[in-house]
Amino acid sequence: METLDLIVNIAASTLRLATPLILAAMAGLLSLQVGQVNIGLEGMMLAGSFAVVAFGFWLGSTWMGVLAAILVGVALAALFAFVVTRLKANLIVSGLALNLLASGGTAYLLEILFNTSGTFSPTALQSLPNLSLPVLSDLPLVGRLLFNHSPLVYVSWLAIPLTALFLYRTIPGIHIQAIGQNEEAARSVGIPVRRRQYLALMIGGALCGLAGAHLAVGDLALFREDMTAGRGFIALAAVYFAAGRPRLSALACLLFGLFEALQFRLQLASSIPPQFFQMLPYVMVVITLAVISARKEWRKGWS
Amino acid sequence: MRALFTGALPRTVLTVLLALVMGGVIMQVSGKDALNAYQVLFNSAFGNERALANTLLAATPLIFTGLATLIAFRAGIFNVGVEGSLYVGAFTAAWVGFTFVDLPGVVLIALAFAAGGLVGGLWGLIPGYLKARLRVDEIVTTIMLNYVAIRFTDYLVTGPFFVPGMANAMSAEVTPQAQLPRLVERSQLNLSLVVALVVFLVVAFMLRRTTLGYEVKTIGSNPVFARWIGMPVSRTIMLVMSISGLIGGLAGAGQALGVNYRFVSGFSRGLGFDGIVIALLGRGSPVGVLLSALFLGALRNGASTMEMFTRIPRDLIDIVVALVIFFTAVEIGFNWLRRRRPTPDAVPPPGSAAEPEKEGVRGNA
Repeated sequence: METLDLIVNIAASTLRLATPLILAAMAGLLSLQVGQVNIGLEGMMLAGSFAVVAFGFWLGSTWMGVLAAILVGVALAALFAFVVTRLKANLIVSGLALNLLASGGTAYLLEILFNTSGTFSPTALQSLPNLSLPVLSDLPLVGRLLFNHSPLVYVSWLAIPLTALFLYRTIPGIHIQAIGQNEEAARSVGIPVRRRQYLALMIGGALCGLAGAHLAVGDLALFREDMTAGRGFIALAAVYFAAGRPRLSALACLLFGLFEALQFRLQLASSIPPQFFQMLPYVMVVITLAVISARKEWRKGWS
Repeated sequence: MRALFTGALPRTVLTVLLALVMGGVIMQVSGKDALNAYQVLFNSAFGNERALANTLLAATPLIFTGLATLIAFRAGIFNVGVEGSLYVGAFTAAWVGFTFVDLPGVVLIALAFAAGGLVGGLWGLIPGYLKARLRVDEIVTTIMLNYVAIRFTDYLVTGPFFVPGMANAMSAEVTPQAQLPRLVERSQLNLSLVVALVVFLVVAFMLRRTTLGYEVKTIGSNPVFARWIGMPVSRTIMLVMSISGLIGGLAGAGQALGVNYRFVSGFSRGLGFDGIVIALLGRGSPVGVLLSALFLGALRNGASTMEMFTRIPRDLIDIVVALVIFFTAVEIGFNWLRRRRPTPDAVPPPGSAAEPEKEGVRGNA
């Protein structure tokens, strides 16, 4: 019974920890699919974390804060889209700049607006209350595992099929894929390329805002400088690992969430160093890309 | 190099000024005196001998990482992995410094730099090999490997090389004769700067006067042509990534032996990333890198004093740097960046039939 309890606990915290990864990964894969890989996911998340705490505090409502986080994410994504599509700036450089802007900007604002550095956790701000689904949450084990979470956890579950639906079953989604595969060809058949790029990136911005909001108010209610701690890049790793597919990306996020959950639990119980789990997502991506490419090269060699 | 005098320099200065002005506007809006802040910043970066020494101290690792990024850029390779090389290089140098305690200073320092550079170079060779032989996009692999390097070195100093009684994760102190001699009094400025300048000369010479330099530039500007005339493109890519990693490793060694006197987990906080900023700002020229490193070093050095005297958070400088990057990235007309808009062809989206061209470096997509 005790083991079962532990497993359920680890599984439940895996779901919680995977939430920001899933949301950011959906953003990342949209940017990948539209051919404008956004490595500024990290920065947009961090800005979302800050926005949810700042606006939640000012407006006296955490949900209003979540709304602000979404808006801030969208605004930053629009800026990014403007810079890379209209001004034709280099993608990677712009993404890195976005991350630096968010990291420096939030730290600066924290000091200017709230006169603190490091951590800001206003007592007036409440974390999002757990949403226990009626009846379902009373089920033994499963209830605790699946139906007693912070609301944004469920949002992340919804985001997966919705992203897949959008990408594969709607006109704008199919346009987005077409643009990613060949921008010139897409333009030549009359697809509004720039508008679709804005759309893909700005939906991503909203998702990253949500991801950041979950980090800040999903469990506790605080903002800490650089609290995203590389999660944007883990999400990106999941996307590359899954070659841009929504469900597979989400699965990779769950796996990486499990690594994160395990590193907390196993730190005490076993001799596996926590850094091992921290490295695993990145190592897996490098190996996966190498294997995919090796297979491709090998096939070419025979044809 | 000519470009430095025909328009690139004025444009770079304009870019930087624009970012500084916007930083000033941000300060004014937050109710601070921007003019005064910049004055303090300037004085604490260049005001006296000690200030200048500290600016050079801050610029030292940036010269390394800027050159490391530059040489890859010139070959058309976007190496984001200098940060990773820096970490493994720093640890290796520190390890040599606290392990071979019986060697005389000169030998030990040379050995530590060599080992740091070697391991950094090998670290750079991983994405280099993957790119050259398997056509794996180096941007993704280098970003990922950075995190591996940071976590792995963290593991080393919390696990096998754990030193009891230390508050933070750090290695043992390197033996005194391995600590780099300081160049001036009352500043940590040390021999590492000299090493950086030597590397600068070597890189500048290599790019202008050697066959390798010619190959690098040709591959960077026209990979198809380079292959057609029989240049060893794959080999050169691997070599360049190794050299880039090697210089990154030297940067780490310099910090470990000259500033911290040990390996400190997570010590860099983006020195490798700053290298990208510098290589961009320096517009592909070694001299440009030197000047840009000095500029960024001055900003980073002056920022802490500015924070102390004007109560303006030093994070403002990060905002200014981010703006500089945005403006530079937008304005820059460099072929070696413009040509390479990374497309996700390393992992084609599901259902895509398009095979990427069989080129080590992608041409116009």
